[in-house]
Amino acid sequence: MKILKNILNFFLSLRLSIWLIFVLLSLLFYGSFVMPKEKEFQTLNTIPLFQWMNENNSGITWWLWAAIGILVLLTVNTLLCSIESVIKKRVSKHWILIISPQLIHVGFLFILFSHLLSSYGSFRGTAFVYEGSALQLPNGLTVVFAAINTDIDHSGFIKNWSADIKYFDERRQMTKDVISPNNPSFQDGFGIYIKTVRLEPVPAALIEVSREPGAFCALVGGVLFLAGMVTLLIFKMKKEDARI
Amino acid sequence: MFYRGIQMGRVPIIGPHDTLFFLSASIMLFAIPVTFKMKDKRKLLSPVVWLSVFFIFLSLFYKPHNVPLPPVLKTFWFETHVVLSFFAYALFGLAAVIGILYLINKEEKSEQLQYKIILVGYCLFSAAMIFGGIWGYFAWGTYWLWTPKELWTVILWLFYSLYLHARLRQWWRGKPSVMLGITGFVIVMFTYLGVSLFMKSSHTF
Repeated sequence: MKILKNILNFFLSLRLSIWLIFVLLSLLFYGSFVMPKEKEFQTLNTIPLFQWMNENNSGITWWLWAAIGILVLLTVNTLLCSIESVIKKRVSKHWILIISPQLIHVGFLFILFSHLLSSYGSFRGTAFVYEGSALQLPNGLTVVFAAINTDIDHSGFIKNWSADIKYFDERRQMTKDVISPNNPSFQDGFGIYIKTVRLEPVPAALIEVSREPGAFCALVGGVLFLAGMVTLLIFKMKKEDARI
Repeated sequence: MFYRGIQMGRVPIIGPHDTLFFLSASIMLFAIPVTFKMKDKRKLLSPVVWLSVFFIFLSLFYKPHNVPLPPVLKTFWFETHVVLSFFAYALFGLAAVIGILYLINKEEKSEQLQYKIILVGYCLFSAAMIFGGIWGYFAWGTYWLWTPKELWTVILWLFYSLYLHARLRQWWRGKPSVMLGITGFVIVMFTYLGVSLFMKSSHTF
């Protein structure tokens, strides 16, 4: 029982949060200098993070493993501190304002969770496609690129581009869509992105197929974080003004 | 800046030439209301004007980006991401100047003012990161890329998170937190200009 209490006290500490953030900062600082130097990092954005970390030498990935370890500790620390704070302050008159830091913490945890999901199950693949060519997605659907369209200005510069696509499930057409920069098409968790086009010798487009399982979770986290941040800002401004 | 905006038909926030100018204008924009909170207005305005002039001077070393924008940059999410980032950078710069004034004059009010400015800057910077993630998801298929620039953005965000958490402890109030606020702007400058100069990244500024 005493050991449990000691563990709880260890995690219920602001000092621990500060130290964990400091160590995390130091690890990322180190990593930012290693990343551009080691050629192995060039493939980091093409496969899920955990797969990449398992496939590469721990001599270059140790700082990422350590950062994940620190993030696990920070998650426990954040959760316990937030629960304790809500319990302590639940009777307060300005309850919503006082729990705003906890809303920020929940948003932060959602974002961390989204990264965990994406680090495990993300997918990215690129290919050049021509008008009329087809691409099979990892979930079995087929995408046919019916037309590649360009918008060219008077000087010959391609201002914008798009592609008309059709989804097929076996031989049955399911739906059709138009993709353009910043306007991908989503189907069963997969996003189809058009990166660039070329017109010669025949119209072709660089396509990326991507799956980010953590995207929705990250959006929820972002909204919660900002909502908490705005309420905290109002609360803190009032509090600091009262102090002056 | 307005003239250039009209000339280009967009907010001038592409490349170091435009963004340094935008940063300089943002610093002045935020400095004016903050000055009203100070007893001696000239004490703050004078270093802030010098800081702004320095950034304008620095912008002259970079070529203006006059070619048409790639379509992937023509979106609300991208423009908001950049504008909010530079508003936050400007506030962090202002907080650093106020921190230096605190070290010289030892007025407690300056330390509190620095904290409030950093809090607003942190809020805008967090929003900028979230907006950048949304843009990245629609433009590149992912809300996060492992590049030195993005890593440094997280370092900067974590550093100010550290500042905000540290300031909750009594020991950190006063000079230590002010020092953190000043150091933060050094990290801002490295994230903004240093990373592009010394490391390869998908961001060009």
